[in-house]
Amino acid sequence: MPRMGGMSRPDIRHWQPPTEAEPDLAALVARVARGDHRAFELVYGELAGPVYGVVRQVLRDPAQSEEVAQEVLLEIWRTASRFDPARGSAAAWALTIAHRRAVDRVRSESAGSRREQKAATEMVPDDDVAEVVAATLDHQRVRRCLGGLTELQRESIKLAYYGGYTYPQVAHLLGVALGTVKTRIRDGLIRMRDCMEVTW
Amino acid sequence: MVKILADDWHVLTGSYALDALPDPERAEFERHLQHCPSCEAEVRGLRETAARLAMAQALQPPPGMEQRVLAATYRTRQLPPLPPERLPHRRVARRMAAFAAASVAAAVALGITQVSTQHRLESTQASDAAISRVVTAPDARIETTRTPAGGSVTVVASAALREAVITSTGMVSPPAGRVYQAWVMSPSGARSAGLMADRSSLLASAVVPGDRIGITVEPAGGTSKPTTTPVAVLPA
Repeated sequence: MPRMGGMSRPDIRHWQPPTEAEPDLAALVARVARGDHRAFELVYGELAGPVYGVVRQVLRDPAQSEEVAQEVLLEIWRTASRFDPARGSAAAWALTIAHRRAVDRVRSESAGSRREQKAATEMVPDDDVAEVVAATLDHQRVRRCLGGLTELQRESIKLAYYGGYTYPQVAHLLGVALGTVKTRIRDGLIRMRDCMEVTW
Repeated sequence: MVKILADDWHVLTGSYALDALPDPERAEFERHLQHCPSCEAEVRGLRETAARLAMAQALQPPPGMEQRVLAATYRTRQLPPLPPERLPHRRVARRMAAFAAASVAAAVALGITQVSTQHRLESTQASDAAISRVVTAPDARIETTRTPAGGSVTVVASAALREAVITSTGMVSPPAGRVYQAWVMSPSGARSAGLMADRSSLLASAVVPGDRIGITVEPAGGTSKPTTTPVAVLPA
C-alpha cells in the first residue's frame, strides 16, 4: 500500500478566489433557479473550490472527493429554487449540502473501512492544513480563531467538521464524556462565530 | 431510545450545525427545530460559521471537473420552486407573524360587530387577550394555507398552552344559508371550534400536538359533526 502521508501535497494547487468584484451569490443562485447557465458558471467559480476542499477534507480520497463534489455542484444547479435567502447565505446553503454529502458518504461506508482507520491516525494537524490550503483571508481568520479556543473545543470541532465524525465518535476518540463533547462543540463554535464576526 | 430532556436540546445546535448528530438524534432534533425559534436562529449562525471553516479549506478542483459539471447541467432538470404554502415553516412564520399581528388588530376592531352574529355555538370567539397570549407564546407555531374558497386560513398554535387561534381572511362568503365552521380534528373525532366570520379569529382550547384544524361549509347555525369535506386542513 502506498504511503498516505504525502499523497495530498503534489496535486493540490492553491485555490485562489476569482479576482473580479465579488458577485452577489444569492442573486446568482436566483438566476440559476431560472435555468441561467451563465449564472451557474459564475456560481461554480465561487463555490467549486470550497466545495471540493471541504469534501476532500472529509473523504481524503481524491477520486471519491471529485465524484462527490461533482454531485454537490450538480445538486446546487438542481435545487437552486429551494435556496431561501431568508434562511442564510448562499455559501452556507451550498457548503451545508457539500459537507452533508461527504458525511453521508463516510457513514454509508461499512464500519472499519480504510478511511476510518486512516483518518483516525492522520488527522491533519494545523501546520499541515496551512500548507495545503490557500492563504486566503478566510483561512487566516479561521486559523487565528481556532487558536483562541481551548484545546478540547478545537479538537472536537475539527474532528466533527473536518473529520466528519459524529459527536459520540468524537467523544470516543478524545476519551471524554458525550455531554462534554456536545457542550465543547457548541461553546467552541459560538466562540468561532463571534471571533470571525459572522453575521446571519 | 433515550428520552431527551427539553434542556438538553439546545446544546445540540453546535453538533447539528457540523453534521455531527448520529441519525435518529438528528431527525429528532430537526423536529424540535420546527418548534424552537431560538434554536433555529442559533443553528443559522453556527451554519454560517461552519461555512467559513469550509471556505478556509478551499482547494483548486481537479481539471476537467468544471466541464463535466457544466455539461451535466444541460442534462439535468431543475426542481420547481415550492408553492408558497409549502415553504418551510420558518419563512412562513416570519411572513405570517406580521399578518397574525394585523389579524389581532382586525379581530379587535371587528369584535363588536361579531357579537351580533345570530348563529353562535357556545365555542369562544377569541378575545384579543387570548389571541395575544397564543401568538406571543414562546413555542407558537404558525401555519397557513390557501383555500379553494379563496383567501387563506391561518392557525397559530401553542403546544404549551394547548390552544390554537384560527383566523380566516379573504374567503368568499359561503352560499346563502351556509356558514364556515372550524373543527379540531383528532383521531377520536372532530369537535367544533366555532363558526368562522371573515377576518375574525376563533380560539380552540385543549388542542394537543397531532390534532388538525379543519374548516367546512355547514348549514347556518353550524352542526355538531362535520357534514362536508373540509375546504382547509392545517396542523394544530
